Amino acid sequence: MKKFLIILFVILCTGCNNNQEQLNILNWSSYIPDSVIRNFEKETGIKVNYSTYSSNEELLAKVSNAKEGTYDLIFPSDYMIEIMKNRGLLEKLDKSKLTNINNLNSNYLNLDYDLNNEYSLPFIAASTVISVNKEKIKDEIVSYNDLLNSDYKDEIVLIDDQRIIIGMALLANGFDMNSTNKDELEIAEDWLLKLKPNLKAYDSDSPKNFLIFEEASIAVLWNAEGAIAKEENDNIENIFPKEGFALSIDNFAILKNSNNQDEAYKFIDYILRPEIMKEIINSYPYKNVNKETDKMLDDNYLNNDAANISDETLKNGIFVKNIGENIKLYDRIWANIK
Amino acid sequence: MKNKTLRFIFLTPVIIYTFCLIVLPLLYILTISFFKSDFYGGMIYDFTLENYKELFNFVYLRIFVNSILIALVTTLICILISYPFVLAISHKSKKIQQIIMTLVMVPFLTNSLIRMYGWIVLLRKSGAINELLLNFNIIDNPLSLMYNNIGIIIGMVYTFIPFMILPLYNSVSNIDKYTLEAASDLGASKIKRFLNIILPQTLSGLFNGAIMVFTPALGCFFIIDILGGGKVMILGNLIKNQFLTARNWPFGAAISVFLILLTTILILIYKKIGGKMDDLGGI
Repeated sequence: MKKFLIILFVILCTGCNNNQEQLNILNWSSYIPDSVIRNFEKETGIKVNYSTYSSNEELLAKVSNAKEGTYDLIFPSDYMIEIMKNRGLLEKLDKSKLTNINNLNSNYLNLDYDLNNEYSLPFIAASTVISVNKEKIKDEIVSYNDLLNSDYKDEIVLIDDQRIIIGMALLANGFDMNSTNKDELEIAEDWLLKLKPNLKAYDSDSPKNFLIFEEASIAVLWNAEGAIAKEENDNIENIFPKEGFALSIDNFAILKNSNNQDEAYKFIDYILRPEIMKEIINSYPYKNVNKETDKMLDDNYLNNDAANISDETLKNGIFVKNIGENIKLYDRIWANIK
Repeated sequence: MKNKTLRFIFLTPVIIYTFCLIVLPLLYILTISFFKSDFYGGMIYDFTLENYKELFNFVYLRIFVNSILIALVTTLICILISYPFVLAISHKSKKIQQIIMTLVMVPFLTNSLIRMYGWIVLLRKSGAINELLLNFNIIDNPLSLMYNNIGIIIGMVYTFIPFMILPLYNSVSNIDKYTLEAASDLGASKIKRFLNIILPQTLSGLFNGAIMVFTPALGCFFIIDILGGGKVMILGNLIKNQFLTARNWPFGAAISVFLILLTTILILIYKKIGGKMDDLGGI
């Protein structure tokens, strides 16, 4: 009897381990609400193991140092797709497995970093924006150079990202956001040193809180953060500076030699459903790239210019490009301005 | 013979553990610090001293100086607070001493990151401290208590002060009470008793505490990021940046090796002054 029980126990255990389908997702923190994941698990019976990262570089470090098959589905941005593709980390996508693929807005397909979308499909677009508390700051802000105003001492919050912030300084001085020209970078460095007395903090986790709690009056942050800040505090206005701003498209990508590819396709297809994408956009108001979702979005989102960025504005967005070894120059500037 | 075998059996797990989790990773760090980076998070296996040369770039030297200054100020303030505190409680009964020392340890039960977020609620413009001072009309405008050097030092001192109190308490409670009594019977003043009896006997504890505070303070970047608003860079951030943003692992490794060297030098000085190595690990 005892033996029988042990055998039964072993069978049960192996049963529950092997038969359940799994999917290992590695995604940005604050990007997909928990309810969306739970609903997918309930619908398909696939168990989702969800981990997060907070920068593309962290993603690359995690993926290249983990055993193959640790993660299945990841969400790299544009330039990181290029890097990962070149390093042979990504699996070619079989689009025939995706029934909802036609929901995607063609403006976000077939872009430079992955022509014909061989390895990636767009998930969401994000841009940087200047959020300003109009109650505190009466002057009109249209350009990055307006931030140098000495009245704004200790009032500005920037995202803690060297490519974006040095890129901003390059744009302010009329240069290419991805410049690797030493003279241009030196001018950008001086510009940032001039800006330094006005800085309250660098924060990538939740810069919107500085505005919501009125700890600071101006912030350069990602558009969804600006959009939420506006929802929470009516005095906040979001401005897309005339020099341009950083634009980033985050994508679905499946890792090479993933053991759960079918599950990954099921998940992508699930997210591409208009109503699911709507739920995500409602929680994290980034720019939606699903044209079916576009038709059903609430006024709340549509009227928020930081969330629903107009196509006209988007033309001024610039992608962060991979600059290879020249990142060293950026790193030195970053160490110097801090 | 039997004793030796037994000792060997008990020691083996520790040796394996130390070798695999401390010696090997350190050797790995040392090795890659001589390679070139491919700037994609990978390495080119060519021997180079470039990474160590880069350390002496003015930009990075400034960060070393900054880190050392912050750690030094933290250590000094910790000493200034801990010494009187420890001397004061040493006169109390054993029971009260135990309770107070337990209270010193209690914060360790909570993750230090969460405690830092707690400080934000206290220190920010609309935080508890400012609200209180404003309500009692002590100040007219909210004080800037964080996102500057004040915030950094508050966070650092708060986090590391138990490491100073514990060894100091240890050495103060080892002072022979009768020597102190004899000294005062023979007419020695308070200052004399402190300088001739207490200070020499607690010096080892003081250095011990100083090392325990100074060393981790050199690399503790999250306090600076959270309470200092990420505006200052110290060795910890610099290393983190090399491994993540700049994707330059060999340079990150070289900075780490430099940091290890710096710490080793400090410990050697400690030993030279007469500190016991046992004290560092055996609080």
